[in-house]
Amino acid sequence: MSVVAMLFFIVVLLFALLAAAALLTWVERRLLAWWQDRYGPNRAGPFGILQAFADVIKILLKEDWIPPLADKPVFVIAPAIVAVTMLLGFAIVPLAPGLVIADLNVALLFFFAMTGLSVYSVTFAGWASNNNYSLLGSLRTAAQMISYEVFMLLSLVGVVILAGSFRLTDIVDAQRGMWFFVPQFVGLVVFFLAAIAETHRLPFDLPEAEHELVAGYHTEYSGMKFGLFFLGEYLGMMLSSAMIVTLFFGGWLGPPFLPPIVWFLLKTAFFVCLYLLLRAALPRPRYDQLMGYAWKFLLPVALLNIVVTGAIVVATRSPAEVGS
Amino acid sequence: MLANYLPILIFVIVAAGLGVVLLGIGFVLGRGQKDQEKLSAYECGFEAFEDTRNRFDVRYYLVAILFILFDLELAFFVPWAVSLDAVGLFGIGAMGVFLALLVVGFIYEWKKGALEWD
Amino acid sequence: MTTAFYIFGAIAIAATILTITRVNAMHALLYLVVSLLAVAGVFFILGAPFAAMLEIIVYAGAIIVLFVFAVMMLNLGDVSIEQERRWLSPDLWLGPSILSAILLAELVYLLSIGDLGAPPGEPVGAAAVAARLFGPYLLAVELASMLLLAGLVGAYRIGRILDERTAERTSSAEREPVAAGADAPQRVEATAASVFAHDGEGE
Repeated sequence: MSVVAMLFFIVVLLFALLAAAALLTWVERRLLAWWQDRYGPNRAGPFGILQAFADVIKILLKEDWIPPLADKPVFVIAPAIVAVTMLLGFAIVPLAPGLVIADLNVALLFFFAMTGLSVYSVTFAGWASNNNYSLLGSLRTAAQMISYEVFMLLSLVGVVILAGSFRLTDIVDAQRGMWFFVPQFVGLVVFFLAAIAETHRLPFDLPEAEHELVAGYHTEYSGMKFGLFFLGEYLGMMLSSAMIVTLFFGGWLGPPFLPPIVWFLLKTAFFVCLYLLLRAALPRPRYDQLMGYAWKFLLPVALLNIVVTGAIVVATRSPAEVGS
Repeated sequence: MLANYLPILIFVIVAAGLGVVLLGIGFVLGRGQKDQEKLSAYECGFEAFEDTRNRFDVRYYLVAILFILFDLELAFFVPWAVSLDAVGLFGIGAMGVFLALLVVGFIYEWKKGALEWD
Repeated sequence: MTTAFYIFGAIAIAATILTITRVNAMHALLYLVVSLLAVAGVFFILGAPFAAMLEIIVYAGAIIVLFVFAVMMLNLGDVSIEQERRWLSPDLWLGPSILSAILLAELVYLLSIGDLGAPPGEPVGAAAVAARLFGPYLLAVELASMLLLAGLVGAYRIGRILDERTAERTSSAEREPVAAGADAPQRVEATAASVFAHDGEGE
């Protein structure tokens, strides 16, 4: 790919992501309303679809405000960190064969590097706001995110063993025979739970539990700075759905009557909807339950999964395959 | 081989630029009136009770340390997983010892109640 | 790519200098993250993508988070900023910087006389790292595991000591409010002594 073509692809992808995130807010509200027997936003445009863009305009025009007691530079940088890191995560997601910005040989680790860096957004935001709710919210989030990050990576070691590579295109190709959610079902469950906690979506949205913490770490944020947190959350949701599809559900693979990219997008959309359904269906756990569950249940399960997968792979692979 | 990383570099620059642009648009368009009440920290309508810069529970710190330890463990796990074919049975044994030691530590933490949030 | 190497290197050095000179601990950490990311970029260019990713995941993503927690936990706001400002007086940084300058000169001299060879043309991937780790350096891996075990146990012990100290400090602060910082060393000694005393009772 020439540099110009690449630049074009990057810009198109970034704007598609921004538009998708905006549209997702509308999809979420419509679906939630549907499940709860309400209408949801249905006035602006057909099915209320223009509501998403009305919201974007509204959020841009809201007063962009920095609290006087806040640490200004950190306060301003914090929301951009989560939006940018989540956008960067998409650089390694293969949409279809050949349709990936950077087919890195350490792609999976790059994804974790980006989710790891997104923790700073929350901690810096909470610290810089100089508000008790923000600080408590950010501490909770940070502890939750770093806890679940461990299991997220542990849950994928099984996939890496089966595929023998971090390159996401290799991982998808390795699933031609069987999608990895069959042999790695435990890994899938752990990864999905961890992904919900990482993006702090309901039911694991304790960082912004409104009845205790007002809005958690973004209590003091308004206007586009709040919008960037929002954007980061929706991008995170799409990114983790895309990763679930790539790692466990064969990425772009599917029956040939649809082009690969359509398969990929359909599968991703399914998991995004699952995210939204969980929000409608499940209550929020207590914080001690959330953390206890992480360390006492998910960690042992993930470790066991690695040991069992490793043992089975070594036992079943014939010596002829070794080194191939 | 380095050409592989050029797209990432471009992507980083463009994405960071996008972040700056979004912040900038908000800054330019989002004008409002300054007001003394609006400027105070949000405390559900109360005056602020105490300074936010305060100490907090050491438990969070402990979680962070646990996180680092398991993250470092992963630094060994991940290369092991990617080349399990090459290291084979010997690798499984080596990792078994490695893991056993960590599990001992983990059980110690558990029994001592370091994982409880009360 | 050589240009990119020097850009990353320059960013790393500038960010590190800024890390040292910031009086606000949180700003310093922000620059430290930037510095680590730049170093990861340097690793990438030198053909060690695996090391680069670990640099971000482990250093930037985990260890600095711990630092941030520590700063948040012990942050005293303006008091610590004043203290930092005092530490930045020339008589405090002059000695260390002269020593560092000598080290730098020595490093440059060694680089100028030695033949270090070109960096490897092929990237060193995770598989190559694993082949070494679970081959000739297996003992080091197992020792690292021991170290991590010690860390697990130590973290819990220190966490308990800190927990008790915080509890004690809050109760003593209620009785007689004292200026923070001024009498810190004595108080640490006192609490450490009380912790050991407590240990004696406990076991």
